[in-house]
Amino acid sequence: MNLSGVTAEKLVSLYKNKELTVTEVIRGLYETIEQTDRDVRAFITLCRDAAMEQASAVDAKIAAGEPTGSLAGVPVAIKDNMAMQGVATTCGSRILEGYKPPYTATAVERLRQADAVIIGKTNLDEFAMGSSTENSGYFLTRNPCDLERVPGGSSGGSAASVASGTSLAALGSDTGGSIRQPAAFCGVVGIKPTYGRVSRYGLVAFASSLDQIGCLSKTVRDSAQVLQVISGFDPYDSTSADVGPADFVQSLDAGIRGTRIGVPKEYFVSGLDSEVKSRIEAGIRLFESLGCRMEEISLPHTEYATATYYLIATAEASSNLARYDGVRYGRRQEGQTDLKDMYRQTRMAGFGAEVKRRILLGTYALSAGYYDAYYLKAQKVRTLLLRDFQNAFERVDAVLTPTSPTVAFKIGEKTADPLSMYLSDIFTITCNLAGLPGISVPCGRNSEGLPVGLQLIGNHFEEGMLLRLANHFEKAGGFQGANEK
Amino acid sequence: MKIEEKDVEYVAKLAMLEVPDAEKKQLAEQLSRIVEYVDHLNKLDVSGVEPTAQVVTNVKHAIREDRVEERTGSGEAGRRVGLFKVPKVITER
Repeated sequence: MNLSGVTAEKLVSLYKNKELTVTEVIRGLYETIEQTDRDVRAFITLCRDAAMEQASAVDAKIAAGEPTGSLAGVPVAIKDNMAMQGVATTCGSRILEGYKPPYTATAVERLRQADAVIIGKTNLDEFAMGSSTENSGYFLTRNPCDLERVPGGSSGGSAASVASGTSLAALGSDTGGSIRQPAAFCGVVGIKPTYGRVSRYGLVAFASSLDQIGCLSKTVRDSAQVLQVISGFDPYDSTSADVGPADFVQSLDAGIRGTRIGVPKEYFVSGLDSEVKSRIEAGIRLFESLGCRMEEISLPHTEYATATYYLIATAEASSNLARYDGVRYGRRQEGQTDLKDMYRQTRMAGFGAEVKRRILLGTYALSAGYYDAYYLKAQKVRTLLLRDFQNAFERVDAVLTPTSPTVAFKIGEKTADPLSMYLSDIFTITCNLAGLPGISVPCGRNSEGLPVGLQLIGNHFEEGMLLRLANHFEKAGGFQGANEK
Repeated sequence: MKIEEKDVEYVAKLAMLEVPDAEKKQLAEQLSRIVEYVDHLNKLDVSGVEPTAQVVTNVKHAIREDRVEERTGSGEAGRRVGLFKVPKVITER
């Protein structure tokens, strides 16, 4: 079964017209995974038995003429930091080896209720800490567009799966760009919704004031459909926003003429690859030709965003990851006679180098004597970054930037220098600090054929407008399915 | 701000991590570079600015009835007959 050229929307209609059965598609998909995923390695765990069961249940519904969900029979991959009852959830970490959660994340449950078929769990940087998926405690994932390059991260497995056609949509999580940057690197669509839009119940916490679940897919329309399914209030998440149900699909084709789009001058500075810059400039002209009003704006505190992010995210991570102590989850280093030795040795053996580095940095930023200078200071700068956007949204409806300063980099290129890896998130982290929604949409390719992503940022709960803009952009630019060979 | 090996040891102790001697030097160097980078926040005057811990909007407090539910721990590590078994907490030293 080759899913190239097929979108979720198209597949659902093929089932409805009885041209295909879910069972044959899903069975064929696992055969494809056996072949192509040997190189790409997007999946940590496959859920074949449960998927085949779900497939025949959906087929039975279709055959009986019963109403089906909006994602009936659509193969979806899940980033392996979301809980699924009875299915190994590793978070890409050896410390969670063997851990099987006793419950299922709300976002995953909602996909199932919409009759989607969960294919498997995808690879990620350990605890979602990284921008290349090279920090996985298990293996690295390769970019399907060029196997010598990284797929981005941390949702690299999800992006690589969608790009290589081993799923038609995938869930990811985004703490500083972890959905949008891999989407850009792999040439697919990725959306990080407003903080609070999608329940995080069952998402393993990294930095709680920044983490958000979102999705990746080949087309904007498919992302709109998946986001619509997983959005909405959930009493099990204390940060879940109490906003009514959203219909993102319905409004996709509404007009965008006259929409004011701001282009922040601080994002077009040194460090931005010249080919990426010229693709984004072509994207700006495309929006202009669609009748949008482009305006140069200023987000003056942009240069402080990365430092702010790495203090806040590591501080929160050092606290969140304190729970991995060898008692409640996953592995334990045995043979100790003292409780604290058991804690220390379990954590030492279970965490990888980047996770330890971030725990140390976060602990340092929170420690006596440094709290005011680092953590509190970063929280104050966060206020300034939020104000930058509040001021901008008084003048414009959306903000347009490159998703990443470069195209996908080579495997191993940035692993020796953690700081250079951190700086690859420079354009995506402000969204998370300000709790705003952001989408990355394909914007053509560079001269080597590597995808470039364009990012649109909206005000809180303006995902509908972002998807609409991206939908018109994707169609006008002929970027839909542009990833396919 | 330069991070020394002894700082790495101190922070590792707070974080319940063990860092092998061989890794201390490299970690101190890497962390120093990162801390040096974040130090440029000091160029900003933030006096009078309120800190932002979280940007939450439209949240209602989720309160439910307090009731006993199924045990939610599932870690196999140290799990024996419905309890978690750990090494000695009090030791002679």
